Amino acid sequence: MQYHQPMRLLLVEDEIEIQGFLKRSLTEAGYQVDVAGDAKAGQRLATENQHDIFIIDLGLPDEDGITLILRLRQLGVDAPVLILSARRAVDDRVRGLEQGGDDYLTKPFAMAELLARLRNLLRRKASAPAEATRLRVLDLELDLLRREASRSGETLTLTPQEFVLLEYLCRNAGRVVTRSMILDQVWGMRIQPDTNVVDVHIYRLRGKVDAEGRRPLIRTLRGVGYVLRDR
Amino acid sequence: MSSGTAKTTMRSAAWRISLWATLAFACGTMVVFVFLHRFVSQDIQRRSDAWLSGEVEVLGDVAERTPKNALYGRVVGEVAELASREVPNRLRSEPGQNDSVFFLQTAADGSLALWVGDGNGAAYLDAIRHSAPVANSPADLRVRAIAIPFRIASASVGDGSRIYLGLSERDELRLLRNLRFRFILLWAAIVVFGAALVFYTTRRMLGHVRGITEAASRIGESDLSSRVPTSRRNDEIAQLASTLNTMLDRIENSVYQLHTITDSLAHDLRSPLTAVRAKLEMALTGGPKADEAESLVTAIEELDRVTDFLNKSLDVAEAKADALRLHRVAIDLDQLLRAMVDLYEPSMSERGLRIQLRSANRVEIWADPGLLHRMIANLFDNELKHLPPSSTIAIALRAEHGTAMLLLEDDGPGFAPEIAAHIFERRVKGPKSNGHGLGLAFVEAVVRAHGGSIEAANRLEGGARLLLALPLFAGPRDEPSTSMALAAHSRPSADALVSASQP
Repeated sequence: MQYHQPMRLLLVEDEIEIQGFLKRSLTEAGYQVDVAGDAKAGQRLATENQHDIFIIDLGLPDEDGITLILRLRQLGVDAPVLILSARRAVDDRVRGLEQGGDDYLTKPFAMAELLARLRNLLRRKASAPAEATRLRVLDLELDLLRREASRSGETLTLTPQEFVLLEYLCRNAGRVVTRSMILDQVWGMRIQPDTNVVDVHIYRLRGKVDAEGRRPLIRTLRGVGYVLRDR
Repeated sequence: MSSGTAKTTMRSAAWRISLWATLAFACGTMVVFVFLHRFVSQDIQRRSDAWLSGEVEVLGDVAERTPKNALYGRVVGEVAELASREVPNRLRSEPGQNDSVFFLQTAADGSLALWVGDGNGAAYLDAIRHSAPVANSPADLRVRAIAIPFRIASASVGDGSRIYLGLSERDELRLLRNLRFRFILLWAAIVVFGAALVFYTTRRMLGHVRGITEAASRIGESDLSSRVPTSRRNDEIAQLASTLNTMLDRIENSVYQLHTITDSLAHDLRSPLTAVRAKLEMALTGGPKADEAESLVTAIEELDRVTDFLNKSLDVAEAKADALRLHRVAIDLDQLLRAMVDLYEPSMSERGLRIQLRSANRVEIWADPGLLHRMIANLFDNELKHLPPSSTIAIALRAEHGTAMLLLEDDGPGFAPEIAAHIFERRVKGPKSNGHGLGLAFVEAVVRAHGGSIEAANRLEGGARLLLALPLFAGPRDEPSTSMALAAHSRPSADALVSASQP
């Protein structure tokens, strides 16, 4: 995390095990984490301190998470919220919040995905910098305008789809991306195929990017996802 | 009104009802009038007959008593003339018409003895001679060259001569004609007015019914919270509406119960799954030994499969109860299929399968993007898992008659015959399948929830064939979630995908 000062995050989650795990993982990821076990404590912490982002579970013991979010908004707290939900259907009010710039994640989730969504929310909040036209990761270079990729100056022959996939990996270089994140962000689908469709795409891409003799850039983290090496 | 509207009107129940009601009313009143007419004409005849009989008696008396001298003709003629002035309902004769009354006396030999009336009476005498022998009661008499028949009464005088008194039926006929004419006018007016009234009221009444039907079908396809319109009156239609509403209350309640159950089931299972997954991930990031890592990874994968299975089972359960919650947007099925084929093509060719997509243009449907994506992924997963290498999958998409037709064919082994009839039921799977048997049940559930239909069969030339029909998008409808789902769909990466798949 290349932030000048750590991002301050408020986690409102009542289940102790998930709370502990999230706090540990978020702290490891460089966030300064405050924790509340119910809506009341959450509201108190949120109004006493300035937070950059919230993670709020919908099923809180004393109150609905949505009600808490709406009240925080009324109190002028406008940091983005990542909503955690163990419910099945996404409530219309959640859709409303999603439209308002917040995001939601269904339980159970992969930590990598949660971190990616937090980054997205923070990036959305900060005024987006002028879009780069070139991406560079080590010796891999992507020309976003001409949709061309090269490694060590050697042009890679990629299909348009492979280019989009590589672009997504590059934008998240050094960070783990899960299969469902790839499906969501590259193909625009929130699906969970019971087949290895994403793996085959990565396998093909790897065949082109990490051709024999080169240092492999795309790593598979089994059970988690993929990561594009940036060191 | 265009001819189309006229046609719809003529096909409507209101039109049929008012047509039949008018017909029945018109026939009924006509029958009543016929009876009335007969009664009136008989009554008029009875009156004129009574007058004729009375007068002819008086005249016979006079003729008998008056001496047969030169004055006889004048006396009797005078009396007859006087009598004719007393004719009931008498109208003035118009020029060129015979008078309404005549008096005629025949001598004993049958020759004309005395005549009071128009002309010389020869034609009348001729008619009398040719008519049937006149009894004492009045009878009809037709005189040559005179259109309107007479009613005549006769009496014999002592000296063998006979007197006849005739009364034209002209006035009677005119009266009846007037009656008929007025009746027909009035009758036509009443029938037209009645028809209009019946048509208007039935149309209004059936309009309520149509309103209820429309509202009910709207409720069926979108939400269960609205109700059909009710009216304040307590008639049959209001009862129909309130019965429907009671039924909807019950349905909404059971759907709500089902949602509560599935939601709490999902919640109660997901929370521990989240905790377990978190622990596994923590263990995995803690740098375990190689063999430990392998089991941790397997555990996470298994857990994700359980989660997916849970979601799918609950979706199928809700869909079987027609209780899937849909957040619809307009989706171009053509573009979606292309993206799906892009996604699955590498895995398919890896397994030696070929996939062909035949689709020409935009085919927009009104669907829940999440469910639709998962449904198509299910279809593709199904093919991927069950087809032997070097099979071909042919997908054809076309729009016809307001329906998007999606045809999936393969040249694999087809559905196992023992399951072919129950292919869309839960837990039904082929003998060699290692899935949950939920895939096609889920597909069918989603199709049904979107108002479509699905058919599965084995092709004659071998292989399986699935035909999905989904209603085409027919313009935006008022649903609150639309814009949000659209917003969710237009993320930058999705745009990148569009530009990537259409270079």
